[in-house]
Amino acid sequence: MTRRRTVGQTRPTWQWIAVAGAIYVGIAASGVCVAAVAQDVRGLFVALAKNQGRQDELLAQYSRLLIERGTLSSYQNVDQAAERQLAMRFPETVERIAP
Amino acid sequence: MSRWRHFMVVGTFILMSLGLSGRMAYLNVTERAFLQGQGDARSLRYETLAANRGIIFDRNGEPLAVSTPVVSVWIDPTEKSRTAAEITNLARAVGVDPRELGSKVERYSQREFMFVKRRIAPDEAERVEKLHLEGVHFEREYRRYYPAGETAAHVVGITNVDDEGQEGAELAFEGALKSVQGRKLVLKNGSKESIKDVEYVTAPRFGKDLALSLDLRLQFFAYRELKSAVEDHHAKSGSVVILDAHTGEILALVNDPSFNPNELTRVAPDTRRNRAITDLFEPGSTVKPLTVLAALESGRFNEESVIDTAPGYMHVGRLLVRDPLNRGRLSLGDVLARSSQVGIAKIALALDDRMVFDAFVRAGLSEMTSCGLPGEVVGKLSDSQLKNPIVRTTLAYGYGLTVTPLQLAQAYLMLATGGVRLPVSILRRDSAPTGQRAFDAQTVETIVRMMKGVDSIHGTAPKARVLGYEIAGKTGTARKVGPNGYDEDRHIAFFAGMAPAADPRVVVIVVIDEPQGDKIGGGDVAGPVFARVVARALRVLNVEPEEVAS
Repeated sequence: MTRRRTVGQTRPTWQWIAVAGAIYVGIAASGVCVAAVAQDVRGLFVALAKNQGRQDELLAQYSRLLIERGTLSSYQNVDQAAERQLAMRFPETVERIAP
Repeated sequence: MSRWRHFMVVGTFILMSLGLSGRMAYLNVTERAFLQGQGDARSLRYETLAANRGIIFDRNGEPLAVSTPVVSVWIDPTEKSRTAAEITNLARAVGVDPRELGSKVERYSQREFMFVKRRIAPDEAERVEKLHLEGVHFEREYRRYYPAGETAAHVVGITNVDDEGQEGAELAFEGALKSVQGRKLVLKNGSKESIKDVEYVTAPRFGKDLALSLDLRLQFFAYRELKSAVEDHHAKSGSVVILDAHTGEILALVNDPSFNPNELTRVAPDTRRNRAITDLFEPGSTVKPLTVLAALESGRFNEESVIDTAPGYMHVGRLLVRDPLNRGRLSLGDVLARSSQVGIAKIALALDDRMVFDAFVRAGLSEMTSCGLPGEVVGKLSDSQLKNPIVRTTLAYGYGLTVTPLQLAQAYLMLATGGVRLPVSILRRDSAPTGQRAFDAQTVETIVRMMKGVDSIHGTAPKARVLGYEIAGKTGTARKVGPNGYDEDRHIAFFAGMAPAADPRVVVIVVIDEPQGDKIGGGDVAGPVFARVVARALRVLNVEPEEVAS
């Protein structure tokens, strides 16, 4: 008498071991990747925080430069420089020099 | 391996696992709060998310108000007791008097918070921080700086120590300019670096930048000329308003005395008032063009009409109306150019009771300009006694009503636009708003033509003449009210006008309060300020000169 065997019944044990091994390796690799990505995220977050801090510093510097520009280029200073250093005078006459 | 050794190894592992699980359960139930608190204290931190108050610019992008970070140094007096040496060290580090700081610490000994010094520069704070003084804390704040200083102080306004608008545009546009600092909870690593945002407690809100209609160049020239005139004539105060005749924007609005908004400790409260929108004056002869406008509108007068002002005075009831001299027969244009009280009185009495009043109302003298600045007041213009010819007469030459300089500027803006009333604005406009026609264009054109004579040799303000440009305007010299009626010695000098007369680009109002000396009239005191301001303004605005001087 010959016995008819199903595919499942005929699969040898080493195949199960291979599948289990592959799953195990996959899970392990995934875990390592998750850990690596988490590390990357932390690194990027630290960089982002640093950049935000730098942005704050630059904004503060911009505001100080804006104040400095506003003070140095005030029309009072410009007017005084024009009169005292460059001996400029407001025109006393109107002269048309171009048609 | 023998069987019992196998069971022993497995059993040991099971026992260890059970032991660890038990310990975990024990700690989780009994020590949870303490352990979690300890963990959080080592790794969780609240961080502030900086947000600036909006910057205020002029119409050309020049900064008028800018916030910049500063640092406040504070201590908790209850945290630890400080020796005299520690207090002296701290005082020296931040630059305050050690004795003063010592007594302050004593006063605050029962409190948990005390500012050592507020708003020091960040680099100064960094120097103090490097000293590693125990129990000294640093808090980042913002301080508002005003690069234009006293030149634009009344318009830009000020903020208080908490960066909240208190006056001027700072107060009017507080909603847009205001910023709110954010706060978030972050996870820190061993190197004190943030590695994760745990929770956003408050999102930061950045203030919006604001562009005012002011042109800082014009503002500076106007302030300089006004200050100089107030000093020269030993006047009490003064104001100058410049409006853009095409858009109704306020190009300059200055008052003297002014104050330095960067240094408020020694500022007299009186100097902080924006007189151009809060102080009311009787406008005197500056409203005469509106009276003549009403006369032309009535159809009873035209450009050719002649008024006999001889003998230079007249009685209206018990009121004596007089000119400085007998000017005889004057055309309507001469009545304006020479500012004849008798001429204007005769015109007013020839009109219906409400005609002059209605013209003033339509010119906007009874309404607030709603320019956008806080604290603006509206003058008094009443029609309750118009049946009385004295009231109608005095109203026609600018007594019995009050206006602010800005209201008067808006009325002259209507003349400059050919009879269209434009809303005035302190914010920059990208295009001209749609106005509302108040008077017939041709009638207004006639009035403006008559006003051109003001700077002629026979006019009341030859000193208002601007080289290269034809102007149209009107002087005013109003007596002030004292305890016993109108005071002979206290006056307000006005000049209100526009330039170039043919196609006005600017409307300028000059008001000088209580000038002293021989020359106290609008033509002598306010006229020259008008001339100098207009000459500069038209050049700055690239308005081509109309006439070429020989």
